[in-house]
Amino acid sequence: MDFVILSLVMLAIGIYGLLTKRHLLKVFISIELIATGATLNFVTLASAMGKGLGEAFLILAFSTDTAVSAVILALLVIISKKYHTSDISDLVQLEDNYESEDEM
Amino acid sequence: MILEAISIGLIISACLALFLDEAVYSIAALAGTFFFTAILYVANGAVFVAIFQFAVGVGTLAILFLSGEMLSEKPTKKTSLKSTFALIGAGVFLSLPAIFLSVSNTNAVGPDVSFGDALWNLRGVDVVLQGLVIMTIALGIAIVLYEKRTGGK
Repeated sequence: MDFVILSLVMLAIGIYGLLTKRHLLKVFISIELIATGATLNFVTLASAMGKGLGEAFLILAFSTDTAVSAVILALLVIISKKYHTSDISDLVQLEDNYESEDEM
Repeated sequence: MILEAISIGLIISACLALFLDEAVYSIAALAGTFFFTAILYVANGAVFVAIFQFAVGVGTLAILFLSGEMLSEKPTKKTSLKSTFALIGAGVFLSLPAIFLSVSNTNAVGPDVSFGDALWNLRGVDVVLQGLVIMTIALGIAIVLYEKRTGGK
């Protein structure tokens, strides 16, 4: 059982979702999966080296991850309410429309 | 054997979280991911981290359920049972390398520092407090953005 490969697989799944999914919530879930893979790797290496400091730093990583999640979710809800869509392609199209209106 | 089963569950729930169409089911699968990750933390001897993962995960998932309901449009076609099983199969397949291959050296190297020592003697508690400060800032940003949206009403 190798936790390093497990965390690499998690990272790969997260990156795949980040590149292919168009729904904002799925993008957020992909970011969470990448963070989970990273923390799993962190725990594995910290416990393999027998250093408790790794766990303390991991709690900082969790706090930062939660803070980032809070900001992303706030922005996500605002965008969804303002533009009535949570699809990245639609949002890009909206931005293009704004730019073409500004040029005219 | 138990760890292998947990790792398979972790990968399957990660795949389901990413590929299920319904937002609520997707978030429920993400909850499974958090749960299996916490068990793996315990297996690695990081019990405090697992507890923290549970605490943080419950809060994140509660907000995710709320925003997931707000954001989700009803999917035009439901995920069929066949594709769900295909996802589970893909998860099992993806977790095989983690079970049968090995790249890491798990021998203990360096001095053994306990979690309490790391917190109190190696200034780890500063790190925790920094995390709380960052989290407070993030909540502040969220509230400011909310007030900006509603016009401060």
